[in-house]
Formats: sequence, structure tokens, C-alpha cells
Amino acid sequence: MTTASPSVFLLMVNGQVESAQFPEYDDLYCKYCFVYGQDWAPTAGLEEGISQITSKSQDVRQALVWNFPIDVTFKSTNPYGWPQIVLSVYGPDVFGNDVVRGYGAVHVPFSPGRHKRTIPMFVPESTSKLQKFTSWFMGRRPEYTDPKVVAQGEGREDAETEIPRSTWVCLCPNPAWLMLPFCPQ
Amino acid sequence: MVSEKSHLGNQQEPVQEEPKTYLLSMTARRGPRSLPPIPSTSRTGFAEFSMRGRMREKLQAARSKAESALLQEMPTPRPRRLRSPSKKELETEFGTEPGKKVESTQQEIDSQSHSRVKFRDSARKIKPKPQVPPGFPSAEEAYNFFTFNFDPEPEDSEKKTKASHREGTNQEEEEGEEEEPPAQGGGKETDEEELLNGDDAEDFLLGLDHMVDDFIAVRPADYESIHDRLQMEREMLFIPSRQAVPTYKKLPENVQPRFLEDEGLYTGVRPEVSRTNQNIMENRLLVQDPERRWFGDDGRILALPNPIKPFPSRPPVETQELSIKGELETMYKKAVKYVHSSQHMIRSGDPPGNFQLDIDISGLLFTHHPCFSREHVLAAKLAQLYDQYLARHQRNKAKFLTDKLQALRNAVQTGLDSEKPHQSPDTIQKTINDYKSEIRQTRKLRDAEQEKDRTLLKTIIKVWKEMKSLREFQRFTNTPLKLVLRKEKVDQKADEEAYEAEIQVEISELLEEHTEEYAQKMEEYRTSLQQWKAWRKAQKAKKKKRKQAAEEHPYDETEEPYPEEDLVKPIPPEPTDRAVIEQEVRERATQSRRRPGEPMLVPELSLAGSITPNNQCPRAEVLRREDVKKRSLYLKVLFNNKEVSRTVTRPLGADFRVHFGQIFNLQIVNWPESLALQVYETIGHSGPTLLAEVFLPIPETTVFTGRAPIEEMEFSSNQHVTLDHEGVGSGVPFSFEADGSNQLILMTSGKVSHSVAWAIGENGIPLIPPLSQQNIGFRSALKRADAISSIGTSGLTDMKKLAKWAAESKLDPNDPNNAPLMQLISVATSGESYVPDFFRLEQLQQEFNFVSDQELNRSKRFRLLLLRSQEVPEFRNYKQIPVYDREIMEKVFQDYEKRLRDRNVIETKEHIDTHRAIVAKYLQQVRESVINRFLIAKQYFLLADMIVEEEVPNISILGLSLFKLAEQKRPLRPRRKGRKKVTAQNLSDGDIKLLVNIVRAYDIPVRKPAVSKFQQPSRSSRMFSEKHAASPSTHSPNHNADYPLGQVLVRPFVEVSFQRTVCHTTTAEGPNPSWNEELELPFRAPNGDYSTASLQSVKDVVFINIFDEVLHDVLEDDRERGSGIHTRIERHWLGCVKIPFSTIYFQARIDGTFKIDIPPVLLGYSKERNMILERGFDSVRNLSEGSYITLFITIEPQLVPGESVQEKFESQEDEKLLQASEKFQAECAFKFPNRQCLTTVIDINGKTVFITRYLKPLNPPEELLSVYPNNLQATAELVARYVSLIPFLPDTVSFAGICDLWSTSDQFLDLLAGDEEEHAVLLCNYFLSLGKKAWLVMGNAIPEGPTAYVLTWEQGHYLIWNPCSGHFYGQFDTFCPLKNVGCLIGPDNIWFNIQRYDSPLRINFDVTKPKLWKSFFSRSLPYPGLSSVQPEELIYQRSDKAAAAELQDRLEKILKEKIMDWRPRHLTRWNRYCTSTLRHFLPLLEKSQGDDVEDDHRAELLKQLGDYRFSGFPLHMPYSEVKPLIDAVYSTGVHNIDVPNVEFALAVYIHPYPKNVLSVWIYVASLIRNR
Repeated sequence: MTTASPSVFLLMVNGQVESAQFPEYDDLYCKYCFVYGQDWAPTAGLEEGISQITSKSQDVRQALVWNFPIDVTFKSTNPYGWPQIVLSVYGPDVFGNDVVRGYGAVHVPFSPGRHKRTIPMFVPESTSKLQKFTSWFMGRRPEYTDPKVVAQGEGREDAETEIPRSTWVCLCPNPAWLMLPFCPQ
Repeated sequence: MVSEKSHLGNQQEPVQEEPKTYLLSMTARRGPRSLPPIPSTSRTGFAEFSMRGRMREKLQAARSKAESALLQEMPTPRPRRLRSPSKKELETEFGTEPGKKVESTQQEIDSQSHSRVKFRDSARKIKPKPQVPPGFPSAEEAYNFFTFNFDPEPEDSEKKTKASHREGTNQEEEEGEEEEPPAQGGGKETDEEELLNGDDAEDFLLGLDHMVDDFIAVRPADYESIHDRLQMEREMLFIPSRQAVPTYKKLPENVQPRFLEDEGLYTGVRPEVSRTNQNIMENRLLVQDPERRWFGDDGRILALPNPIKPFPSRPPVETQELSIKGELETMYKKAVKYVHSSQHMIRSGDPPGNFQLDIDISGLLFTHHPCFSREHVLAAKLAQLYDQYLARHQRNKAKFLTDKLQALRNAVQTGLDSEKPHQSPDTIQKTINDYKSEIRQTRKLRDAEQEKDRTLLKTIIKVWKEMKSLREFQRFTNTPLKLVLRKEKVDQKADEEAYEAEIQVEISELLEEHTEEYAQKMEEYRTSLQQWKAWRKAQKAKKKKRKQAAEEHPYDETEEPYPEEDLVKPIPPEPTDRAVIEQEVRERATQSRRRPGEPMLVPELSLAGSITPNNQCPRAEVLRREDVKKRSLYLKVLFNNKEVSRTVTRPLGADFRVHFGQIFNLQIVNWPESLALQVYETIGHSGPTLLAEVFLPIPETTVFTGRAPIEEMEFSSNQHVTLDHEGVGSGVPFSFEADGSNQLILMTSGKVSHSVAWAIGENGIPLIPPLSQQNIGFRSALKRADAISSIGTSGLTDMKKLAKWAAESKLDPNDPNNAPLMQLISVATSGESYVPDFFRLEQLQQEFNFVSDQELNRSKRFRLLLLRSQEVPEFRNYKQIPVYDREIMEKVFQDYEKRLRDRNVIETKEHIDTHRAIVAKYLQQVRESVINRFLIAKQYFLLADMIVEEEVPNISILGLSLFKLAEQKRPLRPRRKGRKKVTAQNLSDGDIKLLVNIVRAYDIPVRKPAVSKFQQPSRSSRMFSEKHAASPSTHSPNHNADYPLGQVLVRPFVEVSFQRTVCHTTTAEGPNPSWNEELELPFRAPNGDYSTASLQSVKDVVFINIFDEVLHDVLEDDRERGSGIHTRIERHWLGCVKIPFSTIYFQARIDGTFKIDIPPVLLGYSKERNMILERGFDSVRNLSEGSYITLFITIEPQLVPGESVQEKFESQEDEKLLQASEKFQAECAFKFPNRQCLTTVIDINGKTVFITRYLKPLNPPEELLSVYPNNLQATAELVARYVSLIPFLPDTVSFAGICDLWSTSDQFLDLLAGDEEEHAVLLCNYFLSLGKKAWLVMGNAIPEGPTAYVLTWEQGHYLIWNPCSGHFYGQFDTFCPLKNVGCLIGPDNIWFNIQRYDSPLRINFDVTKPKLWKSFFSRSLPYPGLSSVQPEELIYQRSDKAAAAELQDRLEKILKEKIMDWRPRHLTRWNRYCTSTLRHFLPLLEKSQGDDVEDDHRAELLKQLGDYRFSGFPLHMPYSEVKPLIDAVYSTGVHNIDVPNVEFALAVYIHPYPKNVLSVWIYVASLIRNR
């Protein structure tokens, strides 16, 4: 640690997207990415990833298990803008089009240790019944311009159109290691 | 993944891996090494590995390692691993023998790098354990063995040789491995593994040779054993024991513990604390605080019975037994202003609504009402007087006072008579004096009372008489009032005697009084007389003195002022005369007293009179009575200004009484703040009117229902009512007299009889809300102690009273029953009884402020964060704000602070010319204020910005898509499809690209053959007008002959530069090249901010430069020509096209043919035309000479330009006009949605102005008019040129996304900046003043988009003027940039184009034809004669020639410096001779406006600089700032020539025009000496 380079603190996140409960769908895959503030920068690891396609387990749980690893390290100077992990789950519909099945976001845990997070997932609804039908028919469901918007506060004035879709949950344990700053005091 | 694993073996590996492996546990450490090596396939390209590749490798390595670590955890059999039994205990330690260490240190002095020293040091830190058997290498040696550079060393130890020997073969290596003590460090082991695994010896050697590795510190992680750490912690930390502390330790020596509780005193219940915690605390306190302050008499820690703060820090909130859901519910409550601090909401526990206030409204009586007849007025008066009389009579003050007087007199009498022996005469005298003064007082009072009584009686009689006469006069009776005067007979004699005696007594008393007074006065007189005499004496003495003084100093005029006033000689008082006094007394007596013998009159008012029935009354009276009957009244009860109930509506009685008799029970929660009644009156069926409001006093807490007396509250209203019947009205004058004199004004007034009291509950408890919450909390305790009975309910409100009572009643402070009360009192009496009567949100903020505000403001980091969150432009996207203040550079703020400082300071450095600096500042300020106004609208996103959703297909789309099925798959004429638009929200650097498709160019200037220098120009005498005649024959055909067939005329290529990124096309050949190439330029938004607002304000310009690529043969020796090519590529700038980014952004795409801006003089080039090939084209292009380029520019992905805020601006226009204009615009937009139609615009003050007000003939500068006095066309061109010299500044840049602001021509000339509209308006106004027919053309042009041009009518044809460039085009000019016409605007009308086509080529400009042009003002809406917003005339200052000259010098200097800066690697020589030549030449260019001087100039230059190869050109620009000039020079690329012997010439000429409009000429040239 030299004095010339600015002091930062590091946040190491490693964990995995474990499994999901999507009672109605099968053969899903998930994408993850991180949204963080201006003072944050990733230093190592992958900021985004896309998982394999998984099928439902044959047992009673009917879980979609990915066990998709996440490993990323951030450096930052300011806790403001703490990273959030944004998950988006996609899968084929009846016509075989890839459509989005859920969005969700959660903050990376603030304390070191092993954490398990359950993220409720939602998708934007069509603005009308007719549109719902056509979008279903054409396989072009409404989706966010960028999955990252679910982690951003801007533009939520129009939030009445995004209706959370009940109770699908995605389990994502994030054992996160917080390395506190190298503080040469 | 596994195949790449072999990269682990590269030379970087040890560095990468060692520290990590140390960190891992033993098993994990071994993991990766035990994987079988797999031959690498990707090794071949090893040397070429890019950085990215390496990163990927590392990642893979780390990942595979982790995987294998996981694998390793599984219990798999490990082959080939032998471990000595001692391994386990040794593994974690580095075994180094102390003795050997010394030895090895000596060995390694010279050859080892410091990394190893470090290693050793770290190794030394670990406790040495001399367990390695001798003969085996130590860990250190083993390390050295693998990291050492095996150069021959002078002092090769035995071990070294062994090591080197071992290195020889792999075979031996394996043996060595087995020999190796397992105690060796992990670093060694990994290296060893590598050796084993790497099947390539070369690789191994490579790794060893790599010395870099040696410079990197490799050391294990510091490890402290848990025991060590515990030991250390034990030393550092104090851990109090959990054992109970014996009591004697806690008490002072020789003191027995004393238990107050056993002694029968109340101690309270200690809070629950676990025994262990208590022990720990006690142990700690014993060590920390030896004085044992914390221990009580009983040897326990002092503890309050209740650790909770005795008084709340905020008013308690009601917490009812609500369900969880109920708690979450938000109730709306209007904010209530708390007026009195003692009024709180009640505490929880006491159910709300328990308190009750009973309001009894019995009735209402009007003392005046508009419907009163005159008689009523008198009756009311009479009743009032009678009431007064009754009241007085009841009290009978006069009688009381008379009695008192009598008693006093008696007392005096007795006091004088019977002197009591034991009393001193002094005291007697004193009492007598007291009595006497009392007598005097009483007598005065009695007299006054008696007089009042008498006058009252008199008035009553008088009013009654009046009433009687009135009744007689009007001949009917309205009121039942009847006054009876009862006479009481008196004994005349006794009466007289008493009267006389009374008078006598009074006289004597008065006499006494007067004598006393006289004596006193005499005394005073004497003293004052004496004073006066003394003063006289002194005065005389002084006079004498003064006389002497005046004689001595005759000129001394300074007379002393005499402060003492002349005392008047006092007058002796006169003694009083008895007769006088007697007279006085008697007079008074007659006035105020009943005369002796006169009967006593007792008035009695009765309602026994009869009222005249209606049929006997006159009409007016009947009307009045009917009116009264129509009226009814009700009362509203207002509690805390809210209506809580209202009485029934009752009709107004004929006697103006209303009886309600209602009792309202108000269930209340809070102490009432106000209680009021509102009197409403309804007449007939109309709505109620508020007559008056009566405020009721809130009853004392002792007033209970049943005991409360009925009280009368008076009210009055200020309403004015005039009635047309007998009723006197209210607030209006009326009179009783026939002649109208003696007027009265009466207001409606009355009385409400009511009573307000507190209700009493079922169990006899009064339902009174507490005044203070504290009382509630302890009420139960108080009740038990029966405090209420002793101090009364109201005493509860007063803490002090309570405390006093407690002290007086001597409560046992140790009685548990009294504990809460005592606590309350202790709180109340100590100064801390501070109960906040306000609610504060962050009540503990002060305690949580870890640093003072000043300090916080001083913090640089905080400031940076603050500025960033405020979106100050300098900090808007500041990334990674440093953690510490000390890491923040001071210079971060410098720019910002400078800007703040400069806000009002005019900086001339950058602008050189002061006026422009001021203007720039002004524009900046206007911009800031406007932007702030519209900032809010920027923040919101549309749904479409967030969510991508397919649109609902409607029938037409469905039909079309069905239709599409039948369509050809690949149509011959494909149609353009709209691109998907992208909102700027989620973009980042590199996402946006600028696509520039360069299609072709026409008429590029061609090189002139070198021969031409011997030719004399033949066109010097060309007439000015020839240009407009535009004959193609102006170009002498003999030039063509100069070109040998097939020789390259020009090799042009196009270079596009944008944001300092440069791309260029390939080189084409010939003057009409076709490139058809797409160039892609990245776009970076300022500060990485891709919001719409920021994109709109991008001021960058796309420069499209056309160059000629010239190949120069630089072979010096002809003999080598056969074997090698040695040429130099030079590029010569030919011209450029500038397109601002904002235009592209708003237009989305730019497609068309543009005129290339070619300097008027291009040395070495000429505009020749291949006559044969292009003959057919000439006829079309005759009017516009010049070169053209066809371009297609767009942004990928397409961005959605921000919608301008549709704001209704205020306007001073006539409402009708505005409506008409809206209607007109709507109609036009309906018919031709694409055609621009403008009727109103926004002026610089943000007001809507009708557009024609901008057009008015305005005088151009005199200077311009006098140049060509006879040639109107030339003057017009000059004027257009003048207008074009005013710098262009698009509104959209200065007022991003808001709207177009139109400034008037004088504002425009003052600002010296504006966009197309301002230029066009000014030009049009000039043309109008020149007598031309001119209109403003609103339409679309390329590249500007929607813009304004000027149309003029010349003899027989129309001309279209581009106001920003000063060029003009004929109507049928194909290259006219104006592509379509929306509307024409004249000074008095607007014409909208309703023709089928809108291209100027295809339309008719005759606005008189209503079928082609829809006019705004027509017969139905005639032109109202709108006054112009323009000034009467424009005033031009003569420009300052000296300032221009100065500016010229400075510019030249700056540009020269810049050119030298751009050539950092080359010497820049300046050719002075050439420069001065150029400088002479520039004024000529200005004079001729850049035309037709080329050949003369060339000839002259050639004559003077014959030896040089010369390339250069003059640039011409309007002057706004220095930066555009520098950019322009830069974009020409003159500085790019790197021929060693190049010389440069640069000349600047500034021609000042009136009003400080400057035309700048810059001549840049490069010269290469010909050999």
C-alpha cells in the first residue's frame, strides 16, 4: 500500500445463484449483473454472467437449480451506491421464444459472512388486455430496456404499470466477504 | 478450461501463486499441483499473448484452482506422496537452523536479490525450530535453489552444487523430492511441483532466467498462534472477573453495610440486572474507581428504581390496543396550532371522549334588529334602562354608602369624645385623620351614586314619555311595555330635617377640610416667599457684579445665561368663605338628591300593555310584522373552530326573542381551545346569513352542570340593512323626529342566554380534561393521597401548588404509596421540569452530530459529495471521491471556484474583445436562469423509457402485415424502415456512434500544372456582374490544354474529424470522385453524461475536410529510380463542410448534397471543369459555382431528441389574435403536418409575441450603403454579407431543449450572436428598408433542418437568401439548400403554403393567389395594424479600428503559437517575407469579398517567391471567439506537413464593420523551397 494511490476499501462477493421457484415455467436460465454507485469500481471477477439452462427437479420441490457462481470484487471509497445484484430470468414460452420470466434485485449484504437471500421476482405487465394477448401471441412480452433499471430509483413515477407478479422467488445466497479498507492511519 | 491450465507453468506463475498458496491450508495448497499435466496446445502463441489473454488466463487459473481445491477436499487417494510421520507437526513452520542461517546469510551477500532477503526476514520472524536433520537443505536454501539465477558463482557451497546437480535431470528431481524434508515451505514445494509437471525443460529454464521474479517480495502471511494472541491480549486487555465481589471490598474500611429497607424505609424496586453483569460491573468499578463512589451504603451499586427518564422527551403518542394493521394505518389529521403550552393531548390509558362539556343554549334576545320599529327601539332602550335600574336598585349602593358615611362619622365622634387612656394621643389623631379622609372619599362616592340613580330615573321617565308620544303619533302599539311609576309617600317634616342635618354636617366637614387646606397652603406660601426673597437678594448682588464686569470688559459680549427663572412672588391663599361652601353644597344636593318632601318614585315595567292588532295598523307596519314572521334563527356551536352541532331553527318572535332551550353535550378529548356560537338568520327561503359570532368563555374546572348559572352574552353584528317598511334597519341612520334631525345609527345586537359547564360522570367524577398530562399520570396517586380535596382540582394544574401542598402536608417521602408523587414533585421543583411542548423530529440530532457544522463544511470530501449531488456541472459525474480529505487535491475545486468568482467579473483573456466577453457572460447567465426554470421537467421518464413493449396492432397495421405476406421478398425498390429509437438513459461511453457516409463530390478544384506560372492571368478584368450573369464561358478553355491526357487532375480524399477522432476515406481520383464509404466515429458525451439535456448541449462540430493527396517524388538521384520508389505524400486542404452535432442530433439523419466551403484562393488549384464530360450538367448548375459533396450522416443507435417543453407563455397579445393564431396553426398542421407554420414566437423575455411584429424596415449601416450607391444588387449582397458576419449561435445549444427564443434586431446586434431566425429577421428588415419586397421563409433546409431564409422579389425572379452564409440562390437553383417551404412571413401577414409541393423549385411564390397561399389576415380577420417590437431605427457605432488592429496582432500571435504547439517534434520556421506579402493581400480579399483575385494574387506571389512550392489558402470567418478560429486552422491540417525544410506563413486580417462586427481573414501557407 503506497501513499500515492488513493485508499479504497474492497468488497469481495462470492456466492451463487442457487435455485429458483417458478411454478409455471421450466427450462429457465438467469442472468446477473451488478448495479453500483459512482464511487464503486469492479477490480476483479465478472460483473455479469449468464447461467446454463436448468430444468425442474423431479422431486416435490420442483426447484430450478442453477448453482451458478458469482465472484466479483469491488473497490470503493464510499458506501453510498452499495452494489446491488440484479437478476433476470428468461425462458422459452409455448412458441419457443425467449421471454423474460422475472426481474429482481437485492443489495449485496452489508456484513461479512454467509447470507442467503430470497428475491421476489416480477415482470412488467402489459398495459392492456389486448396488448397482453398480442404480446403473448407474438412472443414479445414487455420488458425493461435494461434490467438495471430495477435497481434504480429514477423514473419510478410511472411505477403503476409494473405489477409485481405474486410469489415467484429466486434463492440467491450471497456469502459476501467484506474486506475493510487498508487504512494507513 | 483444463487445456489452458498449462499456462500455469509460465514464468509469471511463481509470483502469482506463491503468496496465495501460503494462505491456503495445507491440503488446499497441494491441490492444483496434483492434477496431471496436460500438454498445452495454445503455447505456441505464447509470445503474442495480449494483455487480455493474460487476464483471462489468470482468471482461469484462479478458477481451476478453486475447483481443484474443492476436488481435493474429497477423500481421494493420493498417489506418489510419501510423508514422514513428523510431517504434521512441522508443516506449518519453516524450519531453519539458527546456525545455518548465519552461514547462509554470508553466502548470499552479493548474489541475492532483496526479495530473498525479505523472504529470509519473514522466515526469521517465525520461531526457529531446529528440527531439520543436518545435511538436509533448509527451507531457505530450498527456496534459493528454485529462484536462484544459476550464474557461476565464486563461492559455490557444497549445497549449491548439489542443488545445481539436482536441477540437471528430471529423474533426479524426483529423487530429490523424496529426499526433501516435508517441513519445507510451501513455496518450495510448489516450485518443485511445477518442475515436475512441466514436461518442458525449456520452460523451466525460462522461468529461472526470469529475474523479475526475484524482485518481488514473497513471504508468508504472518501467523500468530492463538496462544500468543491470547497472551498478548491478556497483557493488553483487562477482563473483569465474573466472581461476586465480597461486600467489604465495596465499602469503606470498617463500615458495616446498612440496609435501608430493613430499617423500614422505602427504597424502591431495583431494576432487573443479571447477577453476572452486576458482578462484572462491580469488578470493573473497583479497579477503575477506587473511591467507591458508585457503591451505596448497602454495598450494592447505586441504582435508580426505574432507569427510565422521569419526564418524556416528546409528547406521548396515543398507543391504543390496536391491531398491527391498525397501527400501520395512517390517519389524516389537520395540523393544529398549539397556542398554549399547557394544552396537550391526553395520555394513553384514559379513554378518549371521556370528557364532556355541556352547553345549554336557552335563548336569544335582540336588543336591536333591523326589523325593529321605532317603538321597538325605544322599548329596547327602556327595557335596558329598567334592567339597569333594577340592578342598581338591587345593589343599592347609595344606601350602603350613606350608611357607611354615617358609621364613619359616628366613629370619629366617639373617637374624639371618649379618649381611651391606654392609647397615645398620636394614634388617636392618626385614626381620626384616617376616618376623616375615608369620610371624604365615601361622601364623594355617595354623591356620585345618588346622582346616577337620579339621572337614571329621569331617563327612564323621559324614554317612557317619548314612547307614549310615539304611540300616540303612530296610533298603534307595537310593544306590550308599560311603565308604572309608583309614588311612595314620605314624612315631609322628618325628611326635611334629615336633609337639613345632612347639609349642615357636610358643610362643617367641608369647612374643616378647607381650613386644613388653607393652613397647608399658608405654610407653602411662607416657604416660597422666603425663597423668593433670597432669590431677589442674590439677583441684586449679581446685577451689581455684572455692571462692574461690563465696565471692566466693555467688549465682552458673552453674557452668562441665567438659568434660574425669575421666581414669581407667591400669592397668599385666600381663606374660605362659609357661605360659598354652603351654596355649593346645597346646589349639589338639589341636583343629585331627592328634594325633601318629594315622593320617592319607583318605576315598574310591565308587559301588560296590549298590542294593536294587524288590521288596525298602517300598511308599513303590517309589512314589518310580516317580515319579522318570515325570519328565523339558529345557532351553531363551534368547538375549536369546528362546527360540532347546531340548534333547531326557530322563528323570530314578534318580541324579537327566540327560545331554543337546547343542551348540547360535547364529548371531547382535548382541552377546548375555543368555544363559540354563531348566530344565523334565515329570511324566507333564502340561505342563512351569519349575523354574529359569540365567543363563550371556557368554564372553570369547578363549574359543573346543574350549578352553572345562565349567563347572557352580548353580541352585535356590523351588517347594514335597509328595509322598505316600518323597520328601522340596521347600520343606517334613522330619526324619531319628523324633520329627520337627531339621527341615530343602531347596529344589530342581542344577547344569547346560555350556560356552559362540565358534565359529571356516573360515579360523580367530573369529566374534565386535564390541563397538563402530568396530572393524568399521577392522578391515581393523587386521589389516594386526596390531594384534590386539599388543593382543589384547579390546583392540579400548578406544579408549584402541588409541591407546596406536599411540603405542607408533610408526606412521607419513603412511603411507597407516595413514591410516584414524590418523584413528580422532585422533577417539578428541580429546575429540570422541562417538558417540551413541541414535537421535534430529530430530537437527538445534537447528540448524534459527530462533528460541528463548520468542521463539516470545511471537509473537502463532504463538499465534493455535496457538489456532486447538486449536479454542479464540474462534478456531475465525478467518480471515486477519495476517502480522505488529504487525498483530495485542492485543484479539484479550482475550476469551480474560478467560475463562481468570475460570474460577475468580465474575463477578457479568452475573448480578447471586451464586448464579446460581456455578451458571452450575459448569454451564460440567461442560459442558467432559463435552464433552472425548466430543470424539473427533465427529471421524469416516460414509460417507454423504461419498458419495451410492442404496440397494439390496429386494423390498418394488421391489414398491412397481411398485405405484406403477399409482398415480394426482395423488392426492387426497397423502402427504408424506421430504426428503433433509443432513449439516452442507459447509454455509456462507446454505445453511440456517428455514421458518416460519404457518397461523392462534384467539382473539386483541380491542380494547376506547374507550367501555369508562366502564364499571365487573362481574367483580371472580369466584371463584377459577370458572376451573376453566370455564363459558363468565363473559364478559359485554354487551361484544359495544359493537361496531358490521362494525367491525374486531383486525388481527393475526405477526412472526417469529430471530437478529435479522425477518420478518412480512401483516395479517389478526379474532380468528381465517388467514394461511397461509411466512416464510423465514436461519440463521447461530456462527462459521460448521456442524459437528453447534456446531449442537446453538445457543441461539437463534425468537420468534413476534403484533401488532395499529392505524391512528391523525393528521389534525389535519378539512377535509383529503377530500383526504388521514394515519394512523399503530402495532403493539401481543399475545403470543408461543418455540421454541428446538435443538428445531427435533432435531425436524426442528414442526407443531401452540400456546398463545400472552399477558400476563395487555393494556391495551386483552380476550378476547372471538364467541358466535354459535364456539358449537360452545366445548364442546371450555372447559378451556383462551387464544389459539392453528397453526404449521409446519422447517429447509431438513433437517439430520441428531447421534447421541447410545451409551456404556455404569458403574452401581451390580444386574446382574439392568440386564438386566431392557434386556430390557424391547427388548420395548417391538419392539412400539411410536415410544413412549418409559425404565427407566434417567444421573445427573449419569455413572452409570446406575434411573429409579424418582428418585421419592419430597418436601416442598414450607412457605411455599407455608401459603397455602391448606384448598385442595389451589390448593396444587397454587401448587407447580406454583413449579416452573415454576425456569429451564429444556435438557440438549441444555449437553451437546450426548451424553445426558440427570438430576439429583436437591436438585441441581436447587441448580443452579436443568434441563430437563423435572428439573422433572417435582420436581413429581411434591411431588405425592406432597401425597398425590396422581402419575406421571411420558414422551411426546411439542409443541413440546418427547420430554419428561416429570406425571399426577395427581384425584377422578374425570386431570390432565396441564406442569412447565415450570405449566399443567395435563384428559385430554380438545384443546389439551393432550402428544400421545402412552409410559410412566408411579411411585415403584415403570414401565408401558409397550401400548394401540392413544397420544394422551392416547384412552387409559385405569388402570395396574392389565395388558392396557393392561405393567408392569416384575410377579409374575415383584417390586419389590425400591429405595432412592431423592433426599434425605430438601429444605431450603429463606428467600429474601433485600433481595437481591431490590436486584436489582429494578438490573434496572429496566438495562432502562430498554436501551430508551433501542434508540431512538437518539428521545428517551425516562419517565412517573414511571405507573411508580409500575405498580409498585404488580405485586405484586397476583404474588399472584393473573396472573389476574383486569385490570379493576380498568384502572379504576385510567384513573382516574389518564385523558388518556393507554395500551398496555402485564406480562411474567412465571422469573429466570435478565438477557439473556433483555432479549430478551423487546425482542421485544415497545415501543420501536418513534416517535410524537413518547410516554412510557414500566417497572416491575420480583421476588418471591422459597424457595431463591432468583425470579419476575420486568416491566411495560412506552407512553403517548400524548390531545388
